[in-house]
Amino acid sequence: MLDVSLDILVPEYIKKFEPYIPSKPDAELMKLYGCDHLYRLNNNENPLGPPAAAQEILSRFKPPKAAIYPSGDSYYLRYKLALKHDLDPDQFLVGNGANEVITFVIKAFCQEGDNIITADKTFAVYEWVAEFSGFEARLVPLKDFCFDDQGMLDRIDDRTKILFICNPNNPTGTYWDEATLRRFLKTVAGRQIVVVDEAYFEFVEREDYPDGIKLLREYPNLVVFRTFSKMYGLAGLRVGYLVGNLDVVNMIRRTCVVYSVNTLAQEAAVVALDDDDHLQRTRRLIRSEKVYLQQQMDRLNLETQIGEGCFMMVKLPMSDTLAYRKLMTHGVMVRSMTGFRYPNWIRVSIGTHEAMEAFMTALKKILL
Amino acid sequence: MKDPSTHLSLKTLLNPNFLRLVTSFAEESAKAFGLGAAEALKLTLACEEIFIYLCQAGRPDETITIEAANGGYYAQLKFLFKTHEFNPRAFNLTASVSLEDQTSLEEMGLLIASRSVDRFYITGSPQQGLELVLVKEKSYPELGELEVPEIKAIKNFSFRTPDPENLKLFVRLVVAHYPAHLYLPSFRFPGKVVDMIASGEYSAAVALGEQGQIGGGIVWRWVGNKTVELFGPYLFHQPADSQLANELVDSCLGRIAKTEAIGLISRTSTPELPERYFEHLGSVDFIQPGGTSQPWPVYYRQLYEDLGCQVWAHPDLHGFLRGEYERLAFAREIRLTRHEGERRPPYSVFAAQFDRAHHQITLRAIWDGEDAATNLAQHVKVLRVENLPNIFFEIDLAQAWQADLIPALLENGFRPRLILPYGGQADILVFQYQGGK
Repeated sequence: MLDVSLDILVPEYIKKFEPYIPSKPDAELMKLYGCDHLYRLNNNENPLGPPAAAQEILSRFKPPKAAIYPSGDSYYLRYKLALKHDLDPDQFLVGNGANEVITFVIKAFCQEGDNIITADKTFAVYEWVAEFSGFEARLVPLKDFCFDDQGMLDRIDDRTKILFICNPNNPTGTYWDEATLRRFLKTVAGRQIVVVDEAYFEFVEREDYPDGIKLLREYPNLVVFRTFSKMYGLAGLRVGYLVGNLDVVNMIRRTCVVYSVNTLAQEAAVVALDDDDHLQRTRRLIRSEKVYLQQQMDRLNLETQIGEGCFMMVKLPMSDTLAYRKLMTHGVMVRSMTGFRYPNWIRVSIGTHEAMEAFMTALKKILL
Repeated sequence: MKDPSTHLSLKTLLNPNFLRLVTSFAEESAKAFGLGAAEALKLTLACEEIFIYLCQAGRPDETITIEAANGGYYAQLKFLFKTHEFNPRAFNLTASVSLEDQTSLEEMGLLIASRSVDRFYITGSPQQGLELVLVKEKSYPELGELEVPEIKAIKNFSFRTPDPENLKLFVRLVVAHYPAHLYLPSFRFPGKVVDMIASGEYSAAVALGEQGQIGGGIVWRWVGNKTVELFGPYLFHQPADSQLANELVDSCLGRIAKTEAIGLISRTSTPELPERYFEHLGSVDFIQPGGTSQPWPVYYRQLYEDLGCQVWAHPDLHGFLRGEYERLAFAREIRLTRHEGERRPPYSVFAAQFDRAHHQITLRAIWDGEDAATNLAQHVKVLRVENLPNIFFEIDLAQAWQADLIPALLENGFRPRLILPYGGQADILVFQYQGGK
């Protein structure tokens, strides 16, 4: 048998990179952990599912359409987004989830020797994509659970191309107010691309929380990410997008893989944008269940970090990865946080009240 | 290609005519890598013993590659060869050069080589070939009079990778404040610890007060590809309610959290180890050459969410494994296996890893064989004569044939002590020889 010369073929930065292995399907996990149900509270999905109109699209999908390629650049979805935000459709690029548009941006601006800057305890995909593409990811420690604006500015050098800010931050839920974001953008002064990832934008009801898209006209180096995986309940279809200054987006378009967003995802996303009622119902649920969880955690004397978004963090008096396994035996799946560099913390997605009660019951049992 | 300033290699024939070439390569590379004359000579003697041994076990037209590496604080020689060219039995520690010749225990080539070096191990598989590794450490001046500064309780810390001077001071503080069994024997040689950290095999973090005082520290090292071993945390005159121990462990976790490490283990835990961060896997008995025994608890922390896996078990240990997996909440599908009269290869092969500093040896199975039980009995006999009272045997539960060795282990006085999750391809089950216990 022939040997593959992997030692020579594979770049050093790939050899060093550790692949991410996602969890097994529910049925396999239930078999392994011996439980007859599973509350998935690990991925910040919308417990109410997709909006009604999107569900209608899914149920009416005609199978023969599966043989036809989708719109290569999500034409109707971009026009719908442009109408909603009063922008040019060409300012939008749609990807197979927001993860894909992260790759577009890094490919468009970084070359050998360049670096990106983000936080040490945030959504890990900015760091991953940079590293497995051969670029340095400079990680600035959070300050009081929040992105450290000055710390990030201090790490910029002449090879820094992109600054990634997760606003609100996953997993801490903290956010930069409009004044902070403006101050930051003013200091960067167009020398780097500033990406503001607003995956949880629709969950935030604070008045001082900035709408990045509204700032695009003033700051042409700003690129905003949004997703349909969270509030719009379409995580299984994988659709997200970026929006920015036309010239900037035209550059990013050169690295964009077309046809990566399927027909169902595009059609469901178009109608999901109109369902304000779904958005309000989701917000109400998240609000009330966060209050419930906070009260429960206070009773257990457990430290929490609750900010914006559909999740919260809890510090446990035990290893988070052990808690993960023990909770799994009770049919509850949370996110352990050692990998986020928050040892002994777990992140819990806010779910239905039934799911939250199941989580609390299981948590009390494992803490006994 | 490996850096030639730290890696050299020699490819030669397994022919005694090349012995001078091989020993010269060993000696000169060891000296070039910084070993003193005495250490270089010992490594050369071990190399000579191994080469002669291999020449007798193989054929003179076969090739062997010898790699010399500079590990910073040690020099290493690695012998690489394909096993199909050899009689596999020869790689048992207990095998004599001639299988028919009843050579005395003292004259077994592999054992002789093991005595001249600090670490010696055989590893590999029938598919990938075998590696025989010799490691000789450099000689360093031992810690003299302990001059350590007085440390007072410190309020505000920052956590740093120590520079060489702070590292040496940290080591002195550890030796001054902790009993010897709670730190690495190398801590008696501060310069060696500096080289160990510089080599990248070990890492350290210290907690520095505002005036640069060292309030504590922690050391860790990689054990294989998936496990990191922790030493400490060590605290110097800090209040009992200090969060420093937690923060030192956090600092280590932050550094290894996004690496390929799956687990963090602690086998020499200080009283300050925050137990709530860890899971108690069990304990082993640490036996001194004089016969006194002390339990060594083993703590573990998983770094990733457990994906679950399948393991093999012999029915004799199904209850033990089931109980341990339930206690530790590890999702495992246990599949039972046993020999049912099928044909087995005639001879087993066990690889040995010496740790003479701890009077310890760990055996692992490379080949299954009909003679497993008698081969194991022979190993125990030899190792007891060799004054190694701590005899462990590790089996990888990913391999059904290794689980099939369980009856042979039990029959020879080995008892299961603990499971190291993901310590191998799947979990490792650690047995300890307990004789008639």
